[in-house]
Amino acid sequence: MRTVALAAFAAGFLAAAASPARAAVGVLTTTEGLAAVVREVGGDRVKVSALSRGIQDPHFVDANPSLAVKLRNADLLVDVGMDLEIGWLPPLVTQSRNGAIQPGGARRLTAGNFVSPMDLPTGPVDRSQGDIHPSGNPHFLSDPRRAVQVAAAVAGRLSEIDPENASYYRERLQAFQAKVAAAEKGWKAQLAPFAGRSVITQHKTLTYLLDWSGLKAAGYMEPKQGVAPPPSHVASLAALVKAAGVKGVLVENYYDRRPAEQLRDLSGVKVVVIPGDVGGTREASDWFGFVDVLVKSLVQAVQ
Amino acid sequence: MVNMMLLWMLVAQASGAPPPAIDPAPPAADERKRMVENVDQALGAQAQPFPSGGVNVGTIGGVPIGKLMLIPDIAVVVDGALGYTTLSTDQQTPSALVLPQHKAWPFLQEVELALQATVDPYIRGDVFLTFDPRGVSVEEAFLTTLSLPWGLQVKAGQIYTPFGRTSQLHRHQWDFIDQPLSMQRLVGLDGLSGFGGDLAWLAPLPWFAELHLAYQAAAPGAGEVQQLTGTGRLVQYLDLADWATMGVGLSWSIFQADLPEQWKNLAGADLYVKIREPDSRSYLLLQGEVYGRQLGGQTLGEAAWGGYGQVVWRADRSWEAGARYDNAPAPVAFEGGSQQTWTALAAYLPSEFFRLRVQPSLVVLPGGSYGFQGIFSFEFTMGAHGAHPF
Repeated sequence: MRTVALAAFAAGFLAAAASPARAAVGVLTTTEGLAAVVREVGGDRVKVSALSRGIQDPHFVDANPSLAVKLRNADLLVDVGMDLEIGWLPPLVTQSRNGAIQPGGARRLTAGNFVSPMDLPTGPVDRSQGDIHPSGNPHFLSDPRRAVQVAAAVAGRLSEIDPENASYYRERLQAFQAKVAAAEKGWKAQLAPFAGRSVITQHKTLTYLLDWSGLKAAGYMEPKQGVAPPPSHVASLAALVKAAGVKGVLVENYYDRRPAEQLRDLSGVKVVVIPGDVGGTREASDWFGFVDVLVKSLVQAVQ
Repeated sequence: MVNMMLLWMLVAQASGAPPPAIDPAPPAADERKRMVENVDQALGAQAQPFPSGGVNVGTIGGVPIGKLMLIPDIAVVVDGALGYTTLSTDQQTPSALVLPQHKAWPFLQEVELALQATVDPYIRGDVFLTFDPRGVSVEEAFLTTLSLPWGLQVKAGQIYTPFGRTSQLHRHQWDFIDQPLSMQRLVGLDGLSGFGGDLAWLAPLPWFAELHLAYQAAAPGAGEVQQLTGTGRLVQYLDLADWATMGVGLSWSIFQADLPEQWKNLAGADLYVKIREPDSRSYLLLQGEVYGRQLGGQTLGEAAWGGYGQVVWRADRSWEAGARYDNAPAPVAFEGGSQQTWTALAAYLPSEFFRLRVQPSLVVLPGGSYGFQGIFSFEFTMGAHGAHPF
């Protein structure tokens, strides 16, 4: 009996050795939005977590050394790029000792490299223009066109890292593309009656989404990027709201809402609070939920 | 074998003969390449080329054009101030900042020029030059390894000694306009630094635990004489909640003391707590350190002690307030005893790159006499966007 048990154990061990169960690819992303896209493509073959949370302003995440511990063992780091994380990610990556995720490393994927950027400066660049992003606007992931581009880049890189599952990632990507295409039809139908209308946003976080939706930004609460709205700017926006017939101002839930509320008091404009990223509200629990909330918020803001 | 191959290639090049066939890549590599190509084909136009080893202009620096031209990130930080004190020079010395008594004195604190870049796939380089009325000095100039095995990392060059918390910070990273006098008088007026190396091991634990071992020629105290210095430091960061992080550190430096008045042993312990709701720009910092220093001619019982505790509250994106209590060895005007300094801080930050601060201090000298010091300072940063200090 004992011999049989030993033989069974040995056979099981050999079988396991012959076809070892491959561990999921450990992916770290800088934002929850990127994590959501990686999850769509990677399915159960990846283990994804984000360094920041959707309720946080991604420009001002703390460079907490605890995050370097997470980066140490990452199989793949996906960041937004375009200087979004410049205030906190570089020292953590250096501290991680993970050579493969250093800038230009084989296991570093900067999503911003795979999308066509908007808001690229066309003239001389200096900080009189505010806290600008010289390589383009990094808030592209709410645009379905660019989210699909990022997903394709993720699928490609996952296939390089984990070639045995390349066909799995390809199928997941194709399914994601199809699901986005279907969702786009619904979102566009909601927005179609309002094409050409304008909103005011707090920061240039919705530039890509507005471009996709056919809506426009009449102005921004921030007079210059990263600069808090002074009362004089709020007053000038109030005049703009009345002149241009703007009905709503959209503010991410991590920003101070008081200037937008002052604008509301001055002009009667609606203040619509939106999530800044996936995970920013309960409804925005995945990428589709996030865009769904944004589309509904846009409709609310232009009605 | 390699020499034979090279010789053959040289001969073949001269004769025009083709080189010998090279063994094909192993089948596994072929298979892997084919799979990736299949994915690329399936993705069609969306499969943009991967920047393998390419320049990631969006992430690695603040000057994308400079990156393309291989120019390092360049930043300049300027600190200027206006100070007033009721204390005499002897009542202030030793200190990095000695103000004329009863005069509102404008002065340049420092201009820091920072040059930072990745050197090659294995190391990065950081150079910080300091210009002040005393002249030009190299604050730090070091390499950092990026991918050593076993959690190791080496910094080598002119570096701050991995001792304590505040003594390793550059001026623009200080919350207050000056450093605590306890740090200045027991560690070094400008912190503790010197040429040498620091080997740091990131322990394979679920939290951040780093052990430093450094060997340097460092200049403690007034920084006039360099001494061979060995330093050990263990620093750990623990996330108490998603809104609270605690850092604790223990440091010890041993100096080769040839003279009785030279530093022999220096010990320190530091505690740091940051409380911040993730969705807020507001936060609360609690920080404190204690130091003990033994000179060459002293017994352990004769060692001098001191320390400080401070609290800083960032109210919103623009306003900050703080308070600090500091207990330091007495200035040279007194035979012994200690000096206590109570300091308040108010800061206004119009942007990420510009800061205005005002800092009044009440000084209690040995024997119970009082003094007052007030400093107003401005600080601005030009160039590459540096990381926010944690």
